[in-house]
Amino acid sequence: MTTPRLRACALTRQFGGGAGVSGIDLEVAAGEIHALVGLNGAGKTTLMRLLLGMLHPTAGRVHVDGRPLPTADWANVGHLVETPLAYGELDGRTNLILAARLHGADAGQAARMVDAVLAELNLTSYAAVQARRMSLGNRQRLGLASALQHHPRVIVLDEPTNALDPSGVILLREALLRRAADGAGILVSSHHLDEVARVAHRITVINAGRVIGTLDPHGVDIERSFFALVHADDTHHDRNAS
Amino acid sequence: MTLSMLATAIAVEGRKAAASRVLTSTAILLTAGVAALAAATTAAASSGNEQLAAKLGPLAAAGGWPAVLDVATQVTAAAGLLAFGVGLSWMFGREFTDGTITGLFGLPVSRPALALAKLVVFLLWAAATATALTIAVALTGLAVTGQVPHPADWAGLGRLLALAAMTATLAIPAAWAATLGRGLLPAIATIVGLMAVTQMIVVAGADGGWFPPAAPALWALLPATIAPAQLLLAATFPIAFSMLTLHAWHRLQLDR
Repeated sequence: MTTPRLRACALTRQFGGGAGVSGIDLEVAAGEIHALVGLNGAGKTTLMRLLLGMLHPTAGRVHVDGRPLPTADWANVGHLVETPLAYGELDGRTNLILAARLHGADAGQAARMVDAVLAELNLTSYAAVQARRMSLGNRQRLGLASALQHHPRVIVLDEPTNALDPSGVILLREALLRRAADGAGILVSSHHLDEVARVAHRITVINAGRVIGTLDPHGVDIERSFFALVHADDTHHDRNAS
Repeated sequence: MTLSMLATAIAVEGRKAAASRVLTSTAILLTAGVAALAAATTAAASSGNEQLAAKLGPLAAAGGWPAVLDVATQVTAAAGLLAFGVGLSWMFGREFTDGTITGLFGLPVSRPALALAKLVVFLLWAAATATALTIAVALTGLAVTGQVPHPADWAGLGRLLALAAMTATLAIPAAWAATLGRGLLPAIATIVGLMAVTQMIVVAGADGGWFPPAAPALWALLPATIAPAQLLLAATFPIAFSMLTLHAWHRLQLDR
């Protein structure tokens, strides 16, 4: 059995007021697109922050490509959580060059990566445009380009289709499928069940900070199945609380 | 943290700083402001404005190069702390207010390396600004007095350059405050508080030389009143806050 690209064991981090995640077990295999779905506040972003070291867990462990989080090979990780790594005063190309350098590319490699990803995500006409002058959707594309351009083995994207137009959604879908085919393990969170169904190999449902089940991406009525899972969990939770 | 990691971080931070309007405009405002105030107050004092002459003190009221240097030194001590503090607050605080801090996690370049690179780039920017400020004051002195500087005036210009550079290092608590407070405003508030406390200590007549933020200005104005040990203590202040900042970036979590 091959080492998962990403693995969380009994991952827990609680905040005041009951927010946070608790006892999360999750794996993302090589070549797999694994989607996390859940309502707002379910804990998807907190989980992604824990997986990337932005938060420290109170319990549990994370392994990135077989290595514990503190010794992870970050040059082979790409992520976009919440805000794109795009500085308003810099143009699209410069932002991507800096991101490539921060991921360990030398100047020559960075230039080649940036040319390729600008073409792949149809951003070439924005290469010389300052990020602050870009639309929200194009800034999101820039952030995705920054996360994907170095062809990482581990990819973590939080709501990647936010603000994207339909052509951006298709470009992203194709970019993710290409990287998964090349062996990357990809974790994406989303509210868009129909989009998730098109792209994901596996879907995990999170509710109230816990994994409550899985959905079949090829199921007939994925939306109904999702709400049935969430409703059953909420009812069970309410009954235990009362 | 390896040297190549640090070199990459410095290259990245340098590119961001070079494109920054905040840093460029702050440097221009400080340089032009100090030179203009030195020129205007010296000209007004030497034209017989007694009220202004009384406020500026005997050295400035005497006119000539000593007056230009005295006013420039006083203004640099206060306005320099604010200006360098604003620059540093922006360099650190903007990562939190713009939300780009999330992208600085999960990289082979560590966060302490990024924080150290920010401090290095800040010091390079501050050194360039201090040099420009000193040249601007020298040109102002030439224009206002019509005389070349005497050896004592050259020494005063040298102390002004050193003061501007030391004042920049005294602003380093802003980097720590921006990190702990996750934004620009806590850092700016820290700098304003530091300015206020320094002024209070100097005006109260306490032995301000033992208060690190006050020592460089007192040395630049009245070199004989400050002991080497007091300047040495002032030098430990930015080193301590640099270490605290690197530690805060090492332990940083996005939990707020």
